Amino acid sequence: MQPTPTVSPPPAPVGAPILRAADLTMTYPGGTTALAGFTVSVPPGSVGLVGANGAGKTTLFRLMLGLMEPTGGSLEVTGRPVASDPVGIRSRLGYMPEHDCLPLDQTAADIVATFGELAGLPARAARQRASDMLDLVGLDEARFRPVGGFSTGMRQRTKLAQALVADPQLVLLDEPTAGLDPLGREDMLDLVGRLAGFGISAILATHLLDDVQRVCEHVVMIDRGRLVLAGPIDRLMQTTGVMRVEVGGRPASGQALVDALAGRGIGASLADEHTVEVDTSEQGDAAFDAVRDLTADLGLRLYALSTRHRSLDDVFMQEARR
Amino acid sequence: MTALPPALSGAVYDRGYRPYEGLRGGRPEARWALWRLSVRRALGLRRSWRQKVFPWSLLAIATIPAIVNVGVGYAARQSPEDFRDFSFITYREYVGVSTALLLFVALTAPDVVCPDRSQRVLPLLFSRPLTGADYVAAKVGAIAAIVFGFAFLPQVVLFVGQMFVTRDGALNYFTDHAEVLWQVPLAVVMLAVYYAAIGVALASLTDRRIVGGVAILGLALVTSGIAGIFEASAEDGTALAVINVLALPLALRDLIFLGHVSADSGLSGVSGGGVLAVTAYLVVLLSAVALLLHRYREVDL
Repeated sequence: MQPTPTVSPPPAPVGAPILRAADLTMTYPGGTTALAGFTVSVPPGSVGLVGANGAGKTTLFRLMLGLMEPTGGSLEVTGRPVASDPVGIRSRLGYMPEHDCLPLDQTAADIVATFGELAGLPARAARQRASDMLDLVGLDEARFRPVGGFSTGMRQRTKLAQALVADPQLVLLDEPTAGLDPLGREDMLDLVGRLAGFGISAILATHLLDDVQRVCEHVVMIDRGRLVLAGPIDRLMQTTGVMRVEVGGRPASGQALVDALAGRGIGASLADEHTVEVDTSEQGDAAFDAVRDLTADLGLRLYALSTRHRSLDDVFMQEARR
Repeated sequence: MTALPPALSGAVYDRGYRPYEGLRGGRPEARWALWRLSVRRALGLRRSWRQKVFPWSLLAIATIPAIVNVGVGYAARQSPEDFRDFSFITYREYVGVSTALLLFVALTAPDVVCPDRSQRVLPLLFSRPLTGADYVAAKVGAIAAIVFGFAFLPQVVLFVGQMFVTRDGALNYFTDHAEVLWQVPLAVVMLAVYYAAIGVALASLTDRRIVGGVAILGLALVTSGIAGIFEASAEDGTALAVINVLALPLALRDLIFLGHVSADSGLSGVSGGGVLAVTAYLVVLLSAVALLLHRYREVDL
C-alpha cells in the first residue's frame, strides 16, 4: 500500500549555519585520516569548498549526507545534527556528483521526476517540479530525450536539475564544471550563482579557485583533512591587498618612499628603483593617505598608483604553506 | 486610444524558481518510489517496445495452460462422464511453472540492479533518504511482486474459468475448491520471494547484466544436475536433493497442498524431508538477504 506523505520536517532556523563542524575527525578502517580536527561554521549562501584531490572534500560530503559516521567530533547540517537523523537529513539536501551518474536509457524528465519522488515528493508534484527544474536549467526542449544522447553539458544540467527538484535547503555540488567547455562552464556557473537568489544554499567543492571566486560569497579551504582558511571571499581578498606605487623626480625615489613608510609603520618593499609595493592589509585606507602625504613631503612625482588584490590562488598557496 | 483587454494584450512571465511547500515524505515514500521505479523497469514500462516484449510474452505463455484447461472444460461440458473431470493442470502443478519464472528472474533481476552500479547511479540514490536495507527491500520486493503476479494471475484465470464452465455450478465449484484460495497465494508468495531474493543477490555481485543472468541460470542448472546425480543413485530419495536450491520452493508448495513432500520430489522417502526442505529454504533465503545487505551496506560517492 502506498505510504501517506507526511508534513515536511521543520525548516532550519533562519540564519543558522548551513554547516557547523566541531573537531570533526574521520579515520578510515585502513588507518587513513581524511579529516583531522576539522572545525568550521559556514553561514547560508554560496560557499566554495576548495582543496586539492584527496584533501577531504568528498569525505566531508559523505559525512554531511549521513552516509558514514565520523570517528570523532560533531557535525550539523542546516542547523540539525547529522548524528540524530542521518537518513532524514537527506530529504532537504540535494547532491550533484562529479562523475556520470544518470541512467542512460531514461529521459531527463523521468530521471528528475524519479529523484523528486525518492526525496519524498508525491508523484504528481515530482513530475511538475521536474518540468520546472528542466526549464530552469535550459533543458525544456530536451526533457523527453534519453540522457544517453546528451552532451556533457546537458548531463551536468540534468544532474543539477535532479539536485534541485525537491527544493533543498542546501545543495552539495561536486566539481559541477568538470569536463565542460568554456561556454558550458559559464552557463553552469551562472546557474550556480543564481541559487542563492532562490533561497538555496550551495557548497561547491572544487579545485578551480576561479569558479569559487566567480560565484561564491564564502570559501572554506581544506588541505590534507585540515582547515586552512574560512571566511567571506571579499574580506579575505581585501585583507591581503597590495598597493603598487610608481614614483620619480629624483634618484632612488622608491627607496626614499619605502623608508618613509617604514617610519609610519607601514610595510613596503621595493619592486624596482622607482616602484614600491605597499602592504595595505593592516591600515587599509590610511595607507593610501600616507602614500599621498609622504610623496608630497618628499617632493616626489607620483606617476601611478594601483591596487592589486591577491587572488584566491595566492591566499590558498600562502596559507597552505604555513 | 483604447487599451486592449488583458486577454489580448499578452504578457511574458518569468516564473523563475518556485519553492515547494507541499507534503514531503521520508523513508517509506522513498522506498515505495524505488519499488515502483523497479517494477516499471522490469515490465518495460516507459521503455521501448523491445523491453516490453519479454515480460508480457511470458505472462501470456504462463496463462496458456489455464486457458487450455478452461477451454477443454467448456468443450467437454456436454461430453460423456469420462471427459467431464478432464484436468490439464492442477493448482498445485500450476505453482510449479518455475522454469518460465526462473527465466524471467534471470533476465529482469540483473536489469534492475546492475545498471545502478555500472552507471554509478547508487551514489545518487543513496543521497536520498534511503538506506541499503530500503534499497534491498525495494528491489527484491519489485521482482517478487512481478513473479507473484505472473504466477498468481493465471491461477485466477484457471479458478474463475473453471467456476463458470463446471456443470456442478459455480458456487459448488467455489466451495469444493475453497482451500486453494489460501494454498495458491501462500505457495506463490514463497516461490516469488525466494526466486527474487536469489536472483537479485546473484545479480548484485556483478555490474554486467549478462553475467548476472548467466549466474542465475547457471545456479539452477548446476545444482539441479548435481542433485539429479545423487537422486538417481538413491532408491528411496536422498537428503542431498536439497542441493537443488531452486526446487526447494516446490517442496514447500507440496507441504502446503499435500501436507507432505510429493512422490516426484527427490526428498520423497527421506525421514524428515519436509523439515529439511523448510530449513534449507530458510537458510538459502536468509543467506541471499544477508549477501544483499552486505553488498549495499554503504556506497562510495
